[in-house]
Amino acid sequence: MEGPEPSEFAKERHAAFAEMMLHELPRDYASQEINRVTLAYFAVSSLSLLRSLHRVDKDQIATWVLSFQAKPKETHDVDDGKFFGFCGSRSCQFSEGPGQSVSNLASTYSALAILKVIGYDFQNFDSSIILESMRSLQMPDGSFMPIDSGAETDLRFVYCAAAISSILNDWSGMDREKAKDYIIKCQSYDGGFGLIPGSESHGGATYCAVAALFLMGFIQNDCNSSLSLPTSTIDIPSLVEWCIQRQGADGGFQGRANKDSDTCYAFWVGSVLKMLGLYHLVNKSALRTFLFTCQSPYGGFTKFPYEVLPDLYHSYYGFAALSLLEEKELGNLSVELGLAALN
Amino acid sequence: MDYFRAVYVARELSPRALRLTTEALLRNPGNYTIWHFRRLVIDALDSDLVEETLFVDNLAEANSKNYQIWHHKRWLAEKLGPEAANDDHDFTRFILCHDAKNYHAWSHRQWVLQKLGGWDKELDFCHQLLEEDIFNNSAWNQRFFVITRSPLLGGLSAMWDSEVDYTIKAILQNPSNESPWRYLQGLYKGNPDSLITDERIPQLLLNILKENSYCVFAWNFLLDVLCKGLRPNKEIEEAVKGFTELDDAGSSDQDLPTRICSALERMDPIRVNYWAWRKSNLTL
Repeated sequence: MEGPEPSEFAKERHAAFAEMMLHELPRDYASQEINRVTLAYFAVSSLSLLRSLHRVDKDQIATWVLSFQAKPKETHDVDDGKFFGFCGSRSCQFSEGPGQSVSNLASTYSALAILKVIGYDFQNFDSSIILESMRSLQMPDGSFMPIDSGAETDLRFVYCAAAISSILNDWSGMDREKAKDYIIKCQSYDGGFGLIPGSESHGGATYCAVAALFLMGFIQNDCNSSLSLPTSTIDIPSLVEWCIQRQGADGGFQGRANKDSDTCYAFWVGSVLKMLGLYHLVNKSALRTFLFTCQSPYGGFTKFPYEVLPDLYHSYYGFAALSLLEEKELGNLSVELGLAALN
Repeated sequence: MDYFRAVYVARELSPRALRLTTEALLRNPGNYTIWHFRRLVIDALDSDLVEETLFVDNLAEANSKNYQIWHHKRWLAEKLGPEAANDDHDFTRFILCHDAKNYHAWSHRQWVLQKLGGWDKELDFCHQLLEEDIFNNSAWNQRFFVITRSPLLGGLSAMWDSEVDYTIKAILQNPSNESPWRYLQGLYKGNPDSLITDERIPQLLLNILKENSYCVFAWNFLLDVLCKGLRPNKEIEEAVKGFTELDDAGSSDQDLPTRICSALERMDPIRVNYWAWRKSNLTL
């Protein structure tokens, strides 16, 4: 099969890949069925970044996404501490009608992200039930559970809550101060953030921490001046150095110290620097070279260089990383929301 | 899945329902609704928790990066209590044997330590992992966790001195290993004044730079301590000037941090923009 030139962005191939993944996922993704809506978000946002949303029927997508919204049977279900957001999959919807779905924060974020990317008009969208019921997912320490029946709590869901609030432009669903307190506790001795206090610094966790703080208005993107001010929230100089140190000799970004470079961290870690106003510190040409070694001949991106088969997750974050690098074939990104800006 | 839906909607908490969840979870271990329902059934039937541990451990072995499985283990551990802590640590040790950086296993291990105990052998465990791979950043992180949080060790201030020695030894073993440098930085965060007064620091840096004048981490650390107020002794001054005297014209007037930044721009080209930015911020 004729592949693209090593440094040529194969836009058509990528768009075809994303479109195919939106309509039908290969069998290997069966174990990810629970995250169907999240996979759709990767595909839709990819298509938008690739300026190829015209390939799909946006109204159909909106209808499909909205069919995952969980609704309460009775109004007092919300007081019982149940969460009414979006489900990630039909396997969490137990019958027709209200009260029989189990929704979660991550798929709620994914669903709203899809709606935002396709330009859905939120004017007539009643977000009150989502935000009101989201409050019961926040723990006393400020972290969030993803579901009301109990699960791990960590920075991923703090981020989801902040992103949901931002998309719906309504912060009544969370206590921002408490969330900030939890995030601060997740900063490790080396400047990066772990998913929970005490955990190892990790690129994805660091993105969740900084993006959440950014969305909630606790940090600004002009780190050049804030460096001379006393830190009131987090240790920014250490954070910056931690991020910069993630770029390896191969040009790619690693997720943790002494691990291999992986496509997706070009987005997770690159975005942190972007939000701090310091993306210009990245060695862009080296990064671009690395990313093109992960471009699959089948369309999409792989996790590591010179692998052949792409996956949707690394493809999406590959596109997002190239968007940060201002690759000309790609549209703009809303870095803090992790989705394509309206292109 | 339809059979599961039926018992779920009917809220049937029976042995049959338990078997159904087993079947469903073997096919789809990521479905948190099924896990939640299984927990309701286990509680209702007062099922054997040791058997349940075997079930979930088998699943965890095959799916060691699945959040729901680890959460179920946590739920079980809480029910079984402190007596089960050591068995649980044996299990995560087994997972970490095969994947010494498994993030889920480490998070779970930290949770069990804090909730149920078993701290006594943890520092040794970290040491063992570092003997196997001094580059294992997860093990370094765990070490920091243990020395700061173990109720048996007295906290960072009690452990600080011996940990500095331990870390310096690790750095000398391989100065290009980022992990112990960050760990060393972390140790001094709680004790910033000693960073510029502790004789071991300039000694370490000089030892490394004598053998390996291109060690980026050593230059980086020296830059940081100078910026934090270290008064360089004659040896340090000579080391910097000696290494950087072939630099840009006019460098003889520049202070040590500026010279080091210029040297780093050349030594560490991936981060050339960062070192230039650090240089421009030196006067702030």
